[in-house]
Amino acid sequence: MFNQIIDWVDQRFPLTAFVKHELTGYPTPRNLSYWWNFGFLAGFVLVMQVATGIFLAMHYKADSALAFDSIQHIMRDVNYGWLLRYLHATGASAFFFVIFIHMARTLYYGSYRKPRELLWWTGQGLLLLLMGTAFMGYLLPWGQMSYWGATVITNLFGASPILGHEIVIWLRGDFTVGDETLSRFFALHYLFPFIIVGAVIIHLVALHTVKSSNPSGIDLAAKDNIPFHPYFTIKDLFGLGLFMMLYTWFAFFTPNTLIEAANNIPANPMSTPSHIVPEWYFLPFYAILRSVPNALGGVVAMGLSVLIFAFMPYLDRSRIPGGARYRPWYRILFYGFTVDILFLGWIGFVPPTDSTILYGKIATILYFLMFLSLPLFSRAEERMMIKRGLPPALQAMIDSESKGKGK
Amino acid sequence: MKKFLMTLAFSLTALPAFASSEAHLEKVQVDTSPAALERGMDIVTSNCTGCHALKYIHYRDLLGMGVSKKKVDEMRGDKNMDATLVSAMPDDAAMSAFGKVPPDLSLMFNAREGRGNYTYTYLTAFYKKPDGSLDNHVFPGVKMPDALGYSEAADDKQRADIKAQAKDVVSFLAWAADPHEQERLLFGKYIMGYLVLLTGMLYVLKKKIWARLD
Repeated sequence: MFNQIIDWVDQRFPLTAFVKHELTGYPTPRNLSYWWNFGFLAGFVLVMQVATGIFLAMHYKADSALAFDSIQHIMRDVNYGWLLRYLHATGASAFFFVIFIHMARTLYYGSYRKPRELLWWTGQGLLLLLMGTAFMGYLLPWGQMSYWGATVITNLFGASPILGHEIVIWLRGDFTVGDETLSRFFALHYLFPFIIVGAVIIHLVALHTVKSSNPSGIDLAAKDNIPFHPYFTIKDLFGLGLFMMLYTWFAFFTPNTLIEAANNIPANPMSTPSHIVPEWYFLPFYAILRSVPNALGGVVAMGLSVLIFAFMPYLDRSRIPGGARYRPWYRILFYGFTVDILFLGWIGFVPPTDSTILYGKIATILYFLMFLSLPLFSRAEERMMIKRGLPPALQAMIDSESKGKGK
Repeated sequence: MKKFLMTLAFSLTALPAFASSEAHLEKVQVDTSPAALERGMDIVTSNCTGCHALKYIHYRDLLGMGVSKKKVDEMRGDKNMDATLVSAMPDDAAMSAFGKVPPDLSLMFNAREGRGNYTYTYLTAFYKKPDGSLDNHVFPGVKMPDALGYSEAADDKQRADIKAQAKDVVSFLAWAADPHEQERLLFGKYIMGYLVLLTGMLYVLKKKIWARLD
């Protein structure tokens, strides 16, 4: 009976063929490390956010007079409303956490390189969509930090030449952040995740065209590719278990550490908090914004600090495979960049003083310098490596994989 | 890899901790026992709700906290079970007395940097200035009167008593800010236990399936 139904469907829709090509039989490099789990985890968190978000939306009121109270209604009166809300609020942090590691893995192993440029760029688009969604979602609790965060960020667009003021009003729907802003942010916060789902599908189509990269950076011969199922389904599930423990830890034991104290005070346009900080995942970019003395320059630098990742396939001119794994200089650069971006996060968090402003400027210059020096740096490194001879492990890998391909 | 994950997880937890470095707050351990919550509630309803409201706390919520039906009935008088703990002082009277409406206390536990430690330290930081006027170390220029009478305390014993009262107040406010916290922690333990078990089994299964490749 079941087979008959599947046959009926298969004559009209490539169900079996799709599952076979894209899932059960999808060839995956067998040497993928656990760093390759994070794309799946991001997909999982996306589903989690949509699922909890839809139920939250059933009880939430997108009205500046009711929003704050409706969150308390969810937290106190709705059955397991506290669970939905803490999972969703923690989920935002979890989403950025896995995406940042997913990106760091791509940068470390050079997965953005030919032929995966489009895969990387669709990922870049997903990052922007995620940032937009998170930013708009943060306004919805209508607390002090929600309100003033949205005010500061929408104000940035005022730095645009000529039309700045009009753009700010257009974004807010009013002269200040208010009820109009709240209702449009809610509408868009509900819409964006579905655009993200669409973009994820494009990201996956691109992935399945070029196939997964792997730690060696070399396209493996057929003998070293294994079916996705059951090998990577089980590996992803095990990784999911570990991730869920970390997520559970935050969502159930310390959910309030991820919520700013000031956001427990209802939004008050008449009283500015002494210190406005964005959520942790925006801190490095916020620090870059603050480090540039000129308003327009700061906005441009902040935008560029996010978008510059897209240029990586062209900035990195080295042809040595495997990214930082086999490239000693690039490895130093990667760790230097990691330290720099964490440091910028700290700078973005603390109230600005003369010394932190200076450190912020230095870290900002280093941030861009690392990207901009990469073309020369990677070429010089490549020359050095060719002169010295490739690492034996890499040479052996290239030989064995090219032999395998010939057959 | 582990080290890197740990660093990232650490930076995630450590960042908010920097926030409380401004004032020197005394640490307080919240007491979640029903007796402490009820003591705290008594102090709050006799010393605080004259001016402050707890607008998200209904009388029926107090039943859930563990207060007896009889006592709640006495507290609410002819008010409905669904009525909330409003302040005795109308907003306009508060405006003319203090120049602002005293903040709602339902979320006070979470609404200040330092969380409960802030409220605890604040309540026991009142002192008399040489000119006899009242001030507060944590909140200079405070408008609220010294509700627990810490600045009037005659000796260390009295001060210790007031500190114990402040601790009960903070314990009650912790409950008020997040009434489902105990339920959440219990859930968390069960879920964590389940995940440890499940992940352990998934690991064994993963090893088994991957062994086919050797």
